[in-house]
Amino acid sequence: MRYSVVVLLTVSAGLVTSAAAEPVSFRKQVAQILLDNCLACHGPKKAEGGYRIDAYERLIKAGDSDEVAVTPSKLDASELFRRIVTEDESERMPLEGDPLPAEQIALIKQWIEEGAKFDGDDPKAALATIVPPPVHPSPPEVYANSLPITALTFSPDGSQLAVSGYHELTVWNPADGKLIKRVHNIGQRTHAITYSPDGKLLAVGGGTPGRLGETRIFNAENGELVRVLGSTSDVVLDVAFSPQGDRLAAGSADGVIRVFEVATGKPVQTITSHSDWVMAIAWSVDGARIASGSRDKTAKVFDSKTGELQVTFSGHGQPVKGVAFHPEGKEVFSAGTDKKVQRWKIEDGKKTADVGSFGEEVYKLTAGGGFLFTGSADKSARQYDRKSHKEVRKYEGHKDWVLSTAYHDGSKRLATGSFDGEVRVWNTEDGKIVVTLLAAPGLKLAAAEGS
Amino acid sequence: MQRTATSLIHGMACMAAGALCWTMLASVALSQDDLEAVEVGTPERIEVYPAEIKLTGPRQRMQLVVTGHYAGGILQDLTRVAEFVSSDEAIVKITAARVAPQGDGAAEIVVRVGGQEAKVAVAVSGQGQPEPVSFEYGTLAALSKQGCNAGACHGSPSGKGGFRLSLRAFDPTLDRLTLIREDFGRRTNPLDPAASLLLLKPLMKVPHGGGLKLHSTDPSYAILRDWISEGCRLDPPEAPRCVSIQVYPPSGRVLKRPAHTQQLSVLATFSDGSVRDITQLAVYTSSDTEVADVSVDGLVVGQDRGETAVVVRYMEFIESVFITFVRDIEGFAWTNPATNNYVDEHVYAKLQQLKYLPSELCSDEEFLRRTYLDVIGILPTVEETSRFLTDQAADKRARLINELLDRPEYSKFWALKWGDILRLTSGQVGGDGVHKYYRWVERAIRENMPYDQFSRKLLASAGSTLTNPPANFYRTAGDTNDCVETVSQVFLGARLQCAKCHNHPFERWTQDNYYGMAAFFNRVQRKNGRRPGEKFIFVSRSGEVTQPRTGKQMKPWLPLAGDVDQPNPDDRRQTFVDWLTKADNPFFAKIEVNRIWSHLLGRGIVEPADDFRESNPPSNAALLDALALDFVEQKYDRKHVIRTILNSRTYQASFKPNAMNEEDTKYFSHYQPRLLSAEQLLDAICQVTDRPESFSGLPAGTRATHLPAPDLVKHDFLKIFGQPERQTVCACERSSESNLGMAIQFFNGPLIYNKLRDEGNRFRQLMKLEKTDSDIIKMLHLAAVNREPTAKELEASLQHIASKDGESAKKNKELEAKIAEVGKQVQAVRDPAFQKLLDAKLATVPEPLRADAKTAVLTAEGKRSEVQKYLVAKFGKGLVVSDEEVVKALDDATKKKLEALKKELAELPKQKLPPGSDRIMALEDICWAILNTNEFLFQH
Repeated sequence: MRYSVVVLLTVSAGLVTSAAAEPVSFRKQVAQILLDNCLACHGPKKAEGGYRIDAYERLIKAGDSDEVAVTPSKLDASELFRRIVTEDESERMPLEGDPLPAEQIALIKQWIEEGAKFDGDDPKAALATIVPPPVHPSPPEVYANSLPITALTFSPDGSQLAVSGYHELTVWNPADGKLIKRVHNIGQRTHAITYSPDGKLLAVGGGTPGRLGETRIFNAENGELVRVLGSTSDVVLDVAFSPQGDRLAAGSADGVIRVFEVATGKPVQTITSHSDWVMAIAWSVDGARIASGSRDKTAKVFDSKTGELQVTFSGHGQPVKGVAFHPEGKEVFSAGTDKKVQRWKIEDGKKTADVGSFGEEVYKLTAGGGFLFTGSADKSARQYDRKSHKEVRKYEGHKDWVLSTAYHDGSKRLATGSFDGEVRVWNTEDGKIVVTLLAAPGLKLAAAEGS
Repeated sequence: MQRTATSLIHGMACMAAGALCWTMLASVALSQDDLEAVEVGTPERIEVYPAEIKLTGPRQRMQLVVTGHYAGGILQDLTRVAEFVSSDEAIVKITAARVAPQGDGAAEIVVRVGGQEAKVAVAVSGQGQPEPVSFEYGTLAALSKQGCNAGACHGSPSGKGGFRLSLRAFDPTLDRLTLIREDFGRRTNPLDPAASLLLLKPLMKVPHGGGLKLHSTDPSYAILRDWISEGCRLDPPEAPRCVSIQVYPPSGRVLKRPAHTQQLSVLATFSDGSVRDITQLAVYTSSDTEVADVSVDGLVVGQDRGETAVVVRYMEFIESVFITFVRDIEGFAWTNPATNNYVDEHVYAKLQQLKYLPSELCSDEEFLRRTYLDVIGILPTVEETSRFLTDQAADKRARLINELLDRPEYSKFWALKWGDILRLTSGQVGGDGVHKYYRWVERAIRENMPYDQFSRKLLASAGSTLTNPPANFYRTAGDTNDCVETVSQVFLGARLQCAKCHNHPFERWTQDNYYGMAAFFNRVQRKNGRRPGEKFIFVSRSGEVTQPRTGKQMKPWLPLAGDVDQPNPDDRRQTFVDWLTKADNPFFAKIEVNRIWSHLLGRGIVEPADDFRESNPPSNAALLDALALDFVEQKYDRKHVIRTILNSRTYQASFKPNAMNEEDTKYFSHYQPRLLSAEQLLDAICQVTDRPESFSGLPAGTRATHLPAPDLVKHDFLKIFGQPERQTVCACERSSESNLGMAIQFFNGPLIYNKLRDEGNRFRQLMKLEKTDSDIIKMLHLAAVNREPTAKELEASLQHIASKDGESAKKNKELEAKIAEVGKQVQAVRDPAFQKLLDAKLATVPEPLRADAKTAVLTAEGKRSEVQKYLVAKFGKGLVVSDEEVVKALDDATKKKLEALKKELAELPKQKLPPGSDRIMALEDICWAILNTNEFLFQH
């Protein structure tokens, strides 16, 4: 079941204009209002007055006051409605904030009058997971400031370089640094961009800090949105297709690794072993294992079929920001804030080697073509032989932290993205810069240097 | 603010120092409803602060403060009710006493209130030019203002929710990274500033564990939003630095209800000479929220009479203003009580201002007991009591004070106090060392060594700890950090522990100060001496201190004086001590006189006595100053200070409050009763019962108040009553909290029980001397509470004795019955076995003789051996059944039961009361009852 951007637009239109003729949908219209205005105080983190709205089943019940929150078809027996319309500022929700806009109040009113029906599958499900994926706002035509380049990737044929932007991907020609196109309807920040092994799908992980995390899958050929996977409460920080391309794993700032079936979008595994942000994900070559790095200062390896934890590596003692498998599959590389890339055995979680030495923290690891690439806050990127982990080359010249790396084995090109918004494409055969660009349409490179 | 266990992680170090760090909350929001209406009346003139205004950028504002001057020098803040008019709204606008620039040019603000008028000239410039938000003085100040970087929130060492700020923005470099760059810059959104997580979280637009901390109308909101939209700029290196802040009005303002509010104005002066209003960005706290609160906008609101220090903080700058609140008290009239010396003059001045009346002088009996306990730690004897009470001389109190100060117990008792401060324990300075150190301290006090010399001897000490005991100072302060913290707390009254890891969150001490102080002490070296338990203290000629955060090498630094460029090259400590003991040192004399005051009056003028800080002002600054000045002028003569205080009427005031001072707890209108200290209490019990405690390893006659160290003798009673272990220099280690253990000790604890039952105790001695009941009761009262019993008490006691008459006979009778009963039980247990054994034996006797044999065997115990002989002769074997045989025949359970019963039977007769027991029991009761009175337990 695929839905197109057009469908999404119609859905979203419903949010704004309440069509009195049609019944109000809880899932499509009411839930988002509650999420935006009430969740902060009436959710799992904070449940003021003993009342929570984070699932339908909860929101209709009374809080500590015993006043029933929502009584179907009875506005005057619905405390929720009374509290959003009352004149008494000490009682009106959102407390100490502006009242809800009249059209939103009208929607809630109509919904209750129509019986306060739940039109989702599971009344216990978190609201965040049942609301339709949002249509994201358009990016600025011209960037006033640059954004950190948190993700970039080459297209399978090496002719395009997709780079994280603000509510978009910017796609550049890696040969001459020209902007080819801009892909819209993407979350505020993008932390991962990756093509499926067959090159047909493009997965984009990201979201809005503190509010939303999601993975969007686009048709790589025509740019159509194929599917949105797993809404979460905070950004998705890494996504990776299994080598067979049948599954996709996403790690997010809610500490969860979710594995989806690519063909259907069905979640097949939910791994909650980490206690903090999951910042990096990698699949073993045979697809049997998933490695992850987390802000909880550990790297872990799981059985990809069962989600079972196989080993925890605590040797970094600091947030782990990058992981990659050794080509032989028995060892893992991980990197992080401890300024180290460490290699360790899956069998017992024991460290076998330090890879290189870094002056600053190291970000995501990129494995490609027998190499391992690192980007670091020491403003350099480095290339290692993945088997021997000997340093092949060091790429220097960025003026800021190198947050992201991408490699195209066919063209032997390395792309690096840095905090100041600059992207460089390097020829790995001679270490020379092919092109330097500022991935912020409309913003001048010189302007960025000045700030 | 969320306060979870994690916020206490770094607590261990800080807890001892100042639990306050985290309990002091940012200033509160006040509603106008709490305010009394301003009674404007007829001011003689009004004064507007500042007198002229220069606004050089679009962001600048200016808070005005309007003061009404009334007849008799009375002042009132009229800011709330004054009318403000701008002469040109195109140049400047004013709302709620806050001036905002509109366009370049000059204008005037006309202020009218109470029929008076004043004008303030305003010069506005730079309105066309951008005025970017300063990262440090805008952004970080705003985060501090909202409390984001407080110790309980993101300022905790581990941060909160993955977001960590430096405590009160002491580390701008770290905060820059965290705010702009950490986690891919997710907190700030330069493309859509209002959508930044940094704003959405405290606005609660996104779930925030800390709750609602920011409103979009707060000045902080605009600052943060604008800073982000300007691209999160950092301050250029050449940007002017803040050099000081000034708070208006200055300290000393007195407000009389209904006038009870004061708007503050806070200005910051920068290194380029510019001045900016930061009233909205400064953080306010009141040292005594029962007296006054402060709103986030700097409006001080008095709640009750008294004084408060309003502490104003802006980045690392801290200033405080003292404001006094008074009100009319119905029925109050100052009685002009006589004064004995300057102590009374200062105390009474404060009492008169706040409308309290001092209590009457205490009775001679109270004075005697109080002064003995305070000066020499023990109770006066019966003889001393009688002598003093019968003395008719007018100067007998003054003479007693002098006598006590010359007693050997004086120095021993005050050595106990200094032992606490200097941490005298055998664990820390060795078994031999502790005695030597104690003797040195005791001697210094006995010889009344001037305090400056005493301090110098400790602080500049070197050599063997055995031959030069004060060198132990550097043994208990075993490393540089300990030295800094000990010296600052003991001699400067400042708790510096917080500043080890970060700028002190509430005081002016910075991390640089801490390590600057350290540079005086880091060259002190310690090595083992040749003798066992000996340490050798010496000073090396090199070694520098590095500030761990900045990596900077620190110059020795002195409070208020700053960096020392050329410290004494041989021993930097000399430079420190020279500064410390200079007559004009503002800390040194004050902390010691305050400590003495607190020992004598139960509460420091600054309380806690060793916690001097802006946010903890003295309750009577003039008194503290006068005492310190006197102390310095008298060449640091501690006895002189003690004598002066003891001779004051303030010290000699009754503990009983009057109707006009019941509410006072801190201005010394009446004496503050307090539980005797652990050592005083133990000595007092020993003295009342005349049964001294013996401490193993210490000479006989050693009193608890004369113990050199708490770890020489483990004494449960002392521990229960709060004897400190001397692990810290903090006066707070000596606990005066009451606990259940104390109650149990007095109810029926072993110490008191044994002394009451002791054959040689006071009342038994008196009984042996054939004293009358009345005499004994009188003596017990004189010994315990240093006065004769009242007629009522005597009567009640005598009645109690009478009521016990015949009690012992009754008890003995009961006892006999009990013995008989137990005897029967013994029989009942052993009889079946006995019968069986006997029957078996008799069975061997020929039938005709059996009855005779039985009679013979059952012969009474005393004649048994003869019977046995007879039986052996007659039958060739003994027939008597012995106890052993019976016991052997019993099963284990019965055996046990029998043993227990026999034991009881053997013990019971010992409980028999000898003749005269009635009276003894009654006197035990009476003595117990006296020891359980508040009058005995409390210093009063």
